[in-house]
Amino acid sequence: MSRKPAKGEYIETDTGNKVSRRSQIIGTTNIILGGKTVIQAEVIIRGDLLRTSSSVPDGGKQSNPVAVAIGRYCIFSRGCELRPPGKMYKGTFSHYPLKIADHVFIGPGSIIEAALVGSHVSIGANCVIGKFTIIKDYVRILGGTVVPPNIVIPSFSVVAGRPGRVVGEIAEGEVEGFDLRELYRSVGNNT
Amino acid sequence: MANFTPYTYFQCPCADSVLPTRNISSDSPSAASGTSDQDERTFDPRAPRSNYSLYPLEHLLYCEDCHQIRCPRCVLDEIVTHYCPNCLFEVPNSIVKSEGTRCTRSCFQCPICIAPLSVSAVEPQPEGHGVADTAHVGQYVLNCAYCLWSSKDIGVYFDKPNAISAQLARIKNGGGQVITPRDRRKDREGRTREASMGPSLDDDGVQEDDGPKLDPNEVLDPEGQFSNLKSFYQSQIAEASPTSALGFTGGDYGYGSPGALSRIMGIYTGGTFADKKVKSKKANFREARDALEGLQIVDLASDADAIKKLQENRWQGTTSLEQRAEQLSEAPFVSDLRPLAYVLRTKRSKRCKTCRHILSKPESKVQTTRFRIRLVALNYIPAITIRPLQPLAPTQRSLLTPRKAVQFLLTFKNPLFENVKVSIATPAHTPGRFKSKVTVLCPQFEVGANTDAWEEALREGGKGAGGEKRRTKAEAHEGQNQAEAGQVWEQGRNWVSVVVEVIPPSIRMDAPDFVKTEEHKNDEGPLREDEDVVEIPAFVRVEWEADAAQDDDTGNLASMREKDGREKRELAYWCVLGLGRIARE
Repeated sequence: MSRKPAKGEYIETDTGNKVSRRSQIIGTTNIILGGKTVIQAEVIIRGDLLRTSSSVPDGGKQSNPVAVAIGRYCIFSRGCELRPPGKMYKGTFSHYPLKIADHVFIGPGSIIEAALVGSHVSIGANCVIGKFTIIKDYVRILGGTVVPPNIVIPSFSVVAGRPGRVVGEIAEGEVEGFDLRELYRSVGNNT
Repeated sequence: MANFTPYTYFQCPCADSVLPTRNISSDSPSAASGTSDQDERTFDPRAPRSNYSLYPLEHLLYCEDCHQIRCPRCVLDEIVTHYCPNCLFEVPNSIVKSEGTRCTRSCFQCPICIAPLSVSAVEPQPEGHGVADTAHVGQYVLNCAYCLWSSKDIGVYFDKPNAISAQLARIKNGGGQVITPRDRRKDREGRTREASMGPSLDDDGVQEDDGPKLDPNEVLDPEGQFSNLKSFYQSQIAEASPTSALGFTGGDYGYGSPGALSRIMGIYTGGTFADKKVKSKKANFREARDALEGLQIVDLASDADAIKKLQENRWQGTTSLEQRAEQLSEAPFVSDLRPLAYVLRTKRSKRCKTCRHILSKPESKVQTTRFRIRLVALNYIPAITIRPLQPLAPTQRSLLTPRKAVQFLLTFKNPLFENVKVSIATPAHTPGRFKSKVTVLCPQFEVGANTDAWEEALREGGKGAGGEKRRTKAEAHEGQNQAEAGQVWEQGRNWVSVVVEVIPPSIRMDAPDFVKTEEHKNDEGPLREDEDVVEIPAFVRVEWEADAAQDDDTGNLASMREKDGREKRELAYWCVLGLGRIARE
């Protein structure tokens, strides 16, 4: 993938996250990492883009609001950006949480503004994922795709183009290829 | 161009199987000799036919009953579910049959850029608009967030934000009302009743309210015209033969029913009963007269209009070929475009074409991604990965230097739970105009059995000896980087790496005659696409011993007891190894 990083580049957390010292993570209290996630250099995660109308009484105690929720074994390549999507709703502008499930690979330089990215999703380099996109499980988005806002991409799709459209299907045998555990192990300080 | 990732394609054996030919002379000797020729010949990955039989391993399935690889060409697809790719709603088969394969809810694509359309409310109309205008205009429009197209552009507004499909069916571009097929039918029924009973009946007034009165000179849309024409000719048939030749009353032949079909076939095969009846019935049809009967007179003024429109709106006002192809009816101008309802997608199960066993079957629910049955070739035949023996420096170009030997590592990974004997055979020279010299240093070897995921996990925890051992073994060689013939290069639990040496040719077109190959001398054409890629055809034969019994639980015990319970299996197939691109001089 990329060249081996210099020694000590990654901070390893208790839950096995490998976070580059050169990444920019803003609003850390609003970001949930499921563990075993790799965040490479120059990745930007905008946890500060919160829902503005957060004064919704939930009945119980107010915990930290979530802007970005990320599952396990996700890999964010160099220079990609995660930002919660925002829109005007009933006259006020508000951001909405961005959810990313497990085994999600995001290529270098991609910008993600989706509402939901399912499990086993691979997004190529330099993609733009439009606002409020819903990407289901087992989807491959080829490099350079611009996925239009509000689109729903069903499972087992291959997406490409500007605007992105479904160009093919994931074959039965490709399902295993989305597992990112091997790749996770290969990244780190001591390899 | 500079980045070439090595690839392996597998040839599905279905390409070899000779299809039933249409040649009637079955005793022609050429057919027989042709097949034997094919057996002898080495496989040419660049032959035009090979294109259709080469697949990456991931795309192949494996039939456990035929013990054979199955490719997308030799499986049968069966639809499990239809669903809308946008709202992910499952569409039952009955709806698909009656409404067609498009989403009938509110899922639409932009006619300009195919991005999804979303419903949004129109901002409150500013004061001072004509009352008649606002009364006509609804509150919602479809918007494209990608190219900013809006249904406003074609003058379509909706009253409510749901069931857009039903609403759109009733609105013409520009806001006019579409006369639905139901209204047309009602109108026709009214007319026939009038014609038969006379207009002086007292329910005449009620009829007037039924629907919009249809204009005999109206300009019809294609669907309207079709439905009018169809009903007109049906009524003509009905009139011409009150009880038709086939014994049906009314205009409907009932082609759908098998009984009627066989009778119709009887006409052509010279059935006795049909003969005289058909002759006796000499229909004298009249043709359609007006728009109500589906007649559309070509209006010369409409051509003039189109030209005028073209002059006003120029190129920007016309639609592209792709946009037109997506539309249901002809749409030469941007103002003619309609939002596109999403085409439904399917979940499909796959069957082996020869034995009809199911190879892959997804769960029928749309949201689940599990498979009930999934027999992929990946779990049955060894995967081959290729990498250069000498790792490249990042700055180095990955092109192959002509006439300089390069060595590649082929790694075979065994997915089976048995030891597997593998033998590879390659031609000494690759086929084609530019011949690479190929030597597999170790063409026969054995790959260890795969183990459970559990065992692997345990080993992972130990981070143990296995991984270390393999590294040192490779490193011992790395000093000289010299592979020994007949020796496996590296070996792991269930994988083996062997070295293949390639001497790429020069791809100069103006090379002196004596270095050119025969094929090159015969064909001096310019370099074709991808002709500079070194592709090696390789015949891989895999041999292993498997339990004769299919089920694993009992089979394991049986094989312990007696050796006879095991049988020898072999699988042989062609692969294509794409190694790299040759540099140009």
